[in-house]
Amino acid sequence: MRPLLDRFHFLILALLSFLGLTLMAGCGSQTPEESQGLKVAATTTMVADLAAAVLGEYGEVHGLMGPGVDPHLYKATAGDVNTLQSADLILYNGLHLEGRMADLLVRLGRRGKPVYAVTEGVPESELLEPEEFAGHYDPHVWFDPILWSYCVDTVVEALSEVDPMRTTVFKKRGDSLKSEYEALREWGHSYVSQIPRENRILVTSHDAYNYFGKAFGFQVVGVQGISTMSEAGLADIVKIVEYIKERNIKAIFVESSVSPATIQRISKDSGAKIGGELFSDAMGMKGHREAGPDGLSFDVGTYEGMFKHNLVTIVEALK
Amino acid sequence: MRENFLPAFDFHRTFVEPWSAYFDNTIWIVVMGFLVAATCGLIGCFIILRRMALVGDAISHSLLPGITLAFLLTQSRDTLPMMIGAIAAGVVTVALIEAIRQSSRIKPDAAIGIVFSSLFAIGVVLISVFADSVDLDAECVLYGEIGWIPLEDQVVLGGHEIGPLPVIRMAAIAIIAIGLLLAFYKELLVTSFDAGLAASLGINPGRFQYGLTLFLSVVIVSSFESVGVILVIAMLIFPGATAMLLTDRLPRTLWLSALFSALYAVLGFHLATWLDASIAGGMSVVAGAVFTLVWIFAPRRGLLMKYVFKSHTNVGSSQSSQAEMTAS
Repeated sequence: MRPLLDRFHFLILALLSFLGLTLMAGCGSQTPEESQGLKVAATTTMVADLAAAVLGEYGEVHGLMGPGVDPHLYKATAGDVNTLQSADLILYNGLHLEGRMADLLVRLGRRGKPVYAVTEGVPESELLEPEEFAGHYDPHVWFDPILWSYCVDTVVEALSEVDPMRTTVFKKRGDSLKSEYEALREWGHSYVSQIPRENRILVTSHDAYNYFGKAFGFQVVGVQGISTMSEAGLADIVKIVEYIKERNIKAIFVESSVSPATIQRISKDSGAKIGGELFSDAMGMKGHREAGPDGLSFDVGTYEGMFKHNLVTIVEALK
Repeated sequence: MRENFLPAFDFHRTFVEPWSAYFDNTIWIVVMGFLVAATCGLIGCFIILRRMALVGDAISHSLLPGITLAFLLTQSRDTLPMMIGAIAAGVVTVALIEAIRQSSRIKPDAAIGIVFSSLFAIGVVLISVFADSVDLDAECVLYGEIGWIPLEDQVVLGGHEIGPLPVIRMAAIAIIAIGLLLAFYKELLVTSFDAGLAASLGINPGRFQYGLTLFLSVVIVSSFESVGVILVIAMLIFPGATAMLLTDRLPRTLWLSALFSALYAVLGFHLATWLDASIAGGMSVVAGAVFTLVWIFAPRRGLLMKYVFKSHTNVGSSQSSQAEMTAS
């Protein structure tokens, strides 16, 4: 037994010395070189777009989650931790969209890093919460441009805090952005009027469009619950197929970051066609231009383009 | 979209920058990767011998009812209640697996399948009946991310920051694991290889099995919480399995598995840096690659050696290699 134990001592010694070495090494720290302008890190594509619109040429916005990435399925890459660490400001959506990552960001904030949840400025009365679980708000506020305007204020405030010299510029840009969003909502309202009120029923994969429905008078039916994890039950599917037939719904929709299988199945069973793909938890590729009817043209990698894409897709399919 | 499938290899960015400009981040990620791999690897050696290598994967599914019940009871998605629910579910999982295995003729692999699929199914049903309107899945309420380790709160001891909390916690778990291993080495060894002999020596194999797997479930769940699921599942299997291709002796297997763990952590980190990919993914890919290399080139049992000396060696010997493994 003796040599055996000796071998184990070696093992422990090796483990401990490895630990010791790394601990000692950990004490000597270096900081990455300085660069010009503010470095802002943002989680989702929507938050990154908003931050870039306000920040403009005064810095750089790094989006952690790429186009088409479901925030649930996002995995940090090796470079992301350096991005967060060297950022002068971190912006995230909040309302539990980022899951556990939000806890980490809050802790970073407590240690003195400027960290803001862009949705913190949205009045609680405007937020939707499930009846049975008070306080667990629906995070998909960007689908109502007016709610998203509240987020502009938070971003302006956050940027002004880290770069107080440019407060007026940020404020001005924020205001013009807000009026853009207001115009977008106006445009949306008039555009949606092509669909008769009784036909404004939006059937999609998961419960992402409740704010959209509230803003534009749609009744929203999500096939699966709000989590992209849960699956639709058989009874749910049968119920939705019945509902589609009964209300004579022309089209239903798939989402860019959720598997289309269930919607395809429902489309087959109910006879409603698939009206197209909507953006839900992420926007499209930057610079990818799309043309709509009436000479509309938009970049689906921007908030405005993403919104227009969704609206045009819905209206074309349901009108 | 990337123009090329693989980004160009840049030696400075891949190997020099992480250890200079970003040293503080790199070191903690690599240390954490090593600690998780080494701890899971040490326990994994025994788990593999007991044909329960997939118990990590099983727990990653069966903790769903645990977190769902914890949410329904507390109405909160904070990490602490989720963690408690997950540990409880993990303990129930391994206890049920052991109970089925010991009191019926069902083999461990089938017992694992029975237990985790039924618990997972209960979780799915619970969610769709009671909690469909909140976003509740292990991926977003429980699993951690090794890439964020350097950003976690630092543990301060005597005015010095000694390291991020999850790393210190994992180091403590590693030390407990090694301590238990040393204290119960003989019992673990005998019960792993020969339950009959263990009984004749007065060791209750059932009790040890329970003890080992209960400890395992706590290690697995707390590792999920700090580094995510893929790394833990991979590290329960790869270090031990790879080492077993190289030696028949248990102490050497444990040694080698610790060595492999360090290799996975360092090479995996650099692979992830080069590709700007998930770090846990990088480490697991390296583990798979090292296994493949050893499988082909192992000096005595490698595929290559078998091919070269086909006429001299008994090809069937690898099947019995586990049984051949001795403590000498």
